[in-house]
Amino acid sequence: MKLRLALCAAALLCAVPALGQDRGLLKLPAFAGLEAKASESVQVNVDSKLLGLACRFLNSDDPEQAAAQKFCTSLTGVYVRQFTFDSDYAYPKSDIDGIRQQLLAPGWSQVVGARSRKENTDVNVFILVEGGKARSLAIIASEPREFTIVNVIGNIDLEQLHDLEGNFGVPRLGIETGKKPDKAPPPPPPPPKK
Amino acid sequence: MSQDIENQLRRALRPVDPSAGFAERVMRALPESTPRAAPVVALRSAARPNLWRRLSTPAALAASLVVAVLLGQQAGRQQVEREQRAGLAARAELLQALRITSKKLDLAYQAVNRPAPAPPPAEENPS
Repeated sequence: MKLRLALCAAALLCAVPALGQDRGLLKLPAFAGLEAKASESVQVNVDSKLLGLACRFLNSDDPEQAAAQKFCTSLTGVYVRQFTFDSDYAYPKSDIDGIRQQLLAPGWSQVVGARSRKENTDVNVFILVEGGKARSLAIIASEPREFTIVNVIGNIDLEQLHDLEGNFGVPRLGIETGKKPDKAPPPPPPPPKK
Repeated sequence: MSQDIENQLRRALRPVDPSAGFAERVMRALPESTPRAAPVVALRSAARPNLWRRLSTPAALAASLVVAVLLGQQAGRQQVEREQRAGLAARAELLQALRITSKKLDLAYQAVNRPAPAPPPAEENPS
């Protein structure tokens, strides 16, 4: 009896880290219908094993790859779905709504919600925060002819994300990182004398 | 009746000691050349299997070892090539994913930092 209890406890202990890894992992549908309709489609599934393998082959001499190397140790998965169409709004909104529902779960918070009526673009950036740290990043971007979902899982260091600027063209989004700036902002210039 | 047959058989098949000088008579009856030729043939036929037997096992082991090493090297090379192909493909996927991520973050950045549209000009009072 005691042995059984010990085995159950050991099994539970082994299962806890595995559950932790799945936290922040969005269930992305197969989008089989979209793939058939799209003129171009990109599906990237880089799990922790593939990520480890990919990181071994990154060349630090290449600035883009050197920037990606910084993420290697902290990320556990990168998943992307991108579909491009020849006509406007050829994708059903229900597909996006299904993913939005997952982002209503506790822990997830929307950090950017940008909508342009002029260009008909809608970009939402979500972050899963646990223990004061970002554990997962999700981007849902819908444009008239393109639909993109990004899910990056792992210990996401927002400072490192900022460091990608200039390499992958990642802009500074002004997301709070919880760290104090190194220097105080410069004082405003004095008003011009009349 | 049957008892008689059994007794006759027992008598006929009973062990009998050979007569004196039987062994000498048999040896004398054998041809003289047979004992001389036999050892030569025996020696030749015995020498070859001994050498072959002595060398065949180590030779087989050595050949197996060489084949195993060659097969191991080949398998190792194939494994490295497979791993390299998978690694390069994974790297390409990762870089593509990061490029898409950065592009979409840039889109969000542009949308957030886009200047607000100017308010419509106030209509002039006709009066």
